[in-house]
Amino acid sequence: MKSLPAQVMTTSKALVFDIKRFAIHDGEGLRTTVFLKGCPLRCRWCQNPEGLLPKRQPMYMSSRCIHCQLCARFIQYQDRPLLEEGEAMDLAIADCPAEALRYDSTYYSVEELIEKIKEDAPFYKYGGGVTFSGGEPLLQWRVLASLLKECQKAGIHTAIESSLYSTHLQDVMPHLDFIYCDLKLYDAQKHLQATGVDNALILENIKTLLHSPMRERMIVRTPLIPGYTATDENIAAIAQFLVNEYPDVTYELLNYNPLASAKYEWTSFTYGLDPKTKALSQEEMEHFRLIARKQGLKNVL
Amino acid sequence: MMQTPRIQHLKARMFEEKRYASIEQARIITKVYQAHESDSIPKKRALALKASLEEIAIGFDREELIVGNRTKGVRAGVVFPESGSAWVNREFETLPSRPQDRFAIREEDIQEFREKIYPYWHHRSLEDAIYGSYGDEIASIAKVVKINQKDHAQGHICPDVAMWLQKGPALLKQEAEDHLQTCDDAQKEFYECMIITLEGAMHFMQRYHDLIMASDPDDDLKKVAENCLALSQRPAESFHEALQSLWFLFVILQMESNASSFSPGRADRYLYPYYEKDIKAGILTKEEALELIECLFLKFNQIVYMRNQNSAKYFAGFPIGFNIAVGGVDENGQDTYNELSLLLLDAQYDLGLPQPNLSVRLNKHSSSTLMQRAIEVVAKGSGMPQFFNDEAIMKTMVEELGVDVQDAYNYAIVGCVELTTQGNNLGWSDAAMFNLNKALELTLNHGIDLLTGEKMGPDYGGLDTYASYEDLEHAFAQMIDYYIIQMMKAEEVVEAAHQKYLPTAFLSCVINDCMDKGIDVTAGGAHYNFSGIQMIQVANLADSLAVLKDLVYDKKKIAPQEMLAALQANFEGYEIIHTMVEHKVPKYGNDVAWVDHLGAQWCRYFRAQLRHYQNPRGGLYHTGMYTVSAHVPMGENVGASPDGRKAREPLADGGLSAVYGRDLQGPTALLKSVSRMDNNLTTNGGLLNMKFLPSFFATQAGRDNFERFLRVFVDLEIPHIQFNVVNREDLLDAKAHPERHRSLTIRVAGYTAYFVELAGKLQDEIIARTSYDHI
Repeated sequence: MKSLPAQVMTTSKALVFDIKRFAIHDGEGLRTTVFLKGCPLRCRWCQNPEGLLPKRQPMYMSSRCIHCQLCARFIQYQDRPLLEEGEAMDLAIADCPAEALRYDSTYYSVEELIEKIKEDAPFYKYGGGVTFSGGEPLLQWRVLASLLKECQKAGIHTAIESSLYSTHLQDVMPHLDFIYCDLKLYDAQKHLQATGVDNALILENIKTLLHSPMRERMIVRTPLIPGYTATDENIAAIAQFLVNEYPDVTYELLNYNPLASAKYEWTSFTYGLDPKTKALSQEEMEHFRLIARKQGLKNVL
Repeated sequence: MMQTPRIQHLKARMFEEKRYASIEQARIITKVYQAHESDSIPKKRALALKASLEEIAIGFDREELIVGNRTKGVRAGVVFPESGSAWVNREFETLPSRPQDRFAIREEDIQEFREKIYPYWHHRSLEDAIYGSYGDEIASIAKVVKINQKDHAQGHICPDVAMWLQKGPALLKQEAEDHLQTCDDAQKEFYECMIITLEGAMHFMQRYHDLIMASDPDDDLKKVAENCLALSQRPAESFHEALQSLWFLFVILQMESNASSFSPGRADRYLYPYYEKDIKAGILTKEEALELIECLFLKFNQIVYMRNQNSAKYFAGFPIGFNIAVGGVDENGQDTYNELSLLLLDAQYDLGLPQPNLSVRLNKHSSSTLMQRAIEVVAKGSGMPQFFNDEAIMKTMVEELGVDVQDAYNYAIVGCVELTTQGNNLGWSDAAMFNLNKALELTLNHGIDLLTGEKMGPDYGGLDTYASYEDLEHAFAQMIDYYIIQMMKAEEVVEAAHQKYLPTAFLSCVINDCMDKGIDVTAGGAHYNFSGIQMIQVANLADSLAVLKDLVYDKKKIAPQEMLAALQANFEGYEIIHTMVEHKVPKYGNDVAWVDHLGAQWCRYFRAQLRHYQNPRGGLYHTGMYTVSAHVPMGENVGASPDGRKAREPLADGGLSAVYGRDLQGPTALLKSVSRMDNNLTTNGGLLNMKFLPSFFATQAGRDNFERFLRVFVDLEIPHIQFNVVNREDLLDAKAHPERHRSLTIRVAGYTAYFVELAGKLQDEIIARTSYDHI
């Protein structure tokens, strides 16, 4: 691991592209999931393409637009508003009656975001908490560490969903109650092709976790993407890797969700999969679970 | 559990039978009145009930273990002349074709009704008295205040079933006779009337015995007959007898009043001693008990209540309100439930029918066992059980209504969601509905109805004259005050007419303290006497006021005159304004405190103003926040509103719910918003509707999350919550192919109805409500 900066910057703001209350699929209990913007990976099947770029951008949703052209008083308009950042855009967004013009994300100070997270505090009493997802939450590791610390102070259970493609895992670990991490492809070359990054750092981080007390409070997950991760060899290789480190780790296989392709319309990215790709059947899911179990993994979900 | 062959048979039979309008009891009542012209109305009423109990045609099914009904056919719409037949005269021919709650008719009935029954009752009924003396006034305020109980008895009452089981008609008759010996002359007639009706009740039970015994009964049926005979002479002893006794009570109450919502209350509490005794004695198994309960539940579905066409819109789909509450706290305030609580839930799980209206009382210490069983029933999709919150209700009952702590611990629910003490309370919970949104409309538009352009109420100004939001608030307060005064005048008239025309001697036998005081329940004989007014509808009101405060007066994004012009034009030609009000102001139900408080503030004001009045029985007026199905017709009465709602569109459903499609932050945010309504605003009942997809309940993890959600509902002290668990696709299919979905039940608002029996507009409205899976 590289050396770490001594101080954590608490003054920086978090860039958030969504906050989902009543989240029931991102951890134990009724949770609030905060989606932090920006991700170093470019997975072809990315489910949250609106969270890829690490900056705030104006966006235009034509389906909401009523073509009143109130925005044309501030910004250029040629059949549709032209998206350029600046004060003029701020004014146009403030006046758009349909919220067809908007920013794709919001800057929150730590205090503001904690306030927001606490709105569902009555629900956290029964096993819920906050989950930071993304994008890749560790990309904003400084502010993430501050947020986690504040949550811990307030007694709120904390979790992250991460690709673990980061050199700053250690900065947040002390403040984490739970980690969901992905291991998408074991083969380095294939990983690079499908996600745009090498998986050595990810494997290294998972190893570290599996030899720390966190190993009881983590789930390693593989999204089953037809044609990419959903192969017998890949699941067997991942399972073998995990068994060698810690066979009791919880390993979860996630089914492919075909609905994400619709989100790409509002982004500059193109979906890397055939939009006709279908989710796996229950039988297929069980087939892959069986492969993982055969390698010696004891807790396969 | 599985339905037994007996239950399957009885359920199928019930669906096969056609629903008819029936004039049989009207014929008997008319005959008695004509034969006793010189007697007082209370005496005639008592004699008419007795004659009905003795003469009406009765029947039974050979598979039934619980018998009795008020007509031979099931689900008959009973014409009841004492309360009102003018509407029947007007609407008889349209009963089979009207949009909501249809009944088949027989030609010969129409003729007999027109020739022999209606002519006698013209100017003699409750309805005629109210409309004759005050009809114009009631009609003139109807768009703001809907006065209820104008052509039928009030119902909405929870009799003392425990006492009825312990005494039965014979011992009650003895008590009335004892009082008759010692009472004042003025009270003699009251006790005589009680005795007459109790004799009728005894005879009614015996008739079932005689009829069954004359039909070559098998052993099961013989037992049923023996139960009937025994109950006509002595209190219930076995569990089976207790259920039969309970059912007779409710049949007779219906025959006396023909009203909505006589509710059994906490059946798991008062039936348990009978159950426990029989189980211990080895004469009853759990399976037998469940089958008996299911037989009783089927009976609850065999009585419907025929309303006039307009009323059927407000109370669509026969909410008859046999409300049973399970769980809750015991006499020491400690959480309680028993095996019967679970069996009652099991029966609902098996049958999934609209009645009884099953409720579960929750508190901070509710057992996970009871909750998980209840959640499994919720997941089945009949919209039941609904949940009530002891933490929100009991303390407020004591502090706000002056109810004794013991009575508050023992609270039950009548009808849909109306809160009551058990066995000692005429809550008159459905007195009126007050449309706060129409009152706001008149405030914004100089007292002129936006829909017709006609002057309707007082002119305190308009959006074009109010210089500030405070000015507007001041005028709104005046408008509310004005209509409260009009409402109170009408309530006086209605209650006086009930006292005069619909005294209820039999009901008075099972409501404490009527027997001791010698006063009929309609005249204030009950221990508690409340009147409940519903505030309609906080969600639209909060949303409208948020737009006015924020966009119009604070930020001045829309000029007040322009806003008024937009409303007058139903937003046509005002697309930008319409889009702004929809998107640029937060809405109720999203955990935005200042918006929620705007709504709560006016409900508080309304409630405070009501407290200046006393009802004709000497009791308090209090408030509820529920609509039954009235959000649709009440919306039809309101023009375009500042929240962006177009003219005549429905208001928010439920009572505490957000406007559909506007609660975008999910169910936890909605609960937080609703929790900003003070508990004392809903002492008459509140209603929060939510829709979940079935997939939410598919796993134990999902059901555990649902339990957590309910526990927070308890912590947040929200009085009520109920769930529709159904796929949108299923509803669309049921609308298109009703024949395939005859038994599909859906939560309307505080009650469950058959979806295919609802009018198309209400079906659409239910389909449109927000639903949650994972958002």
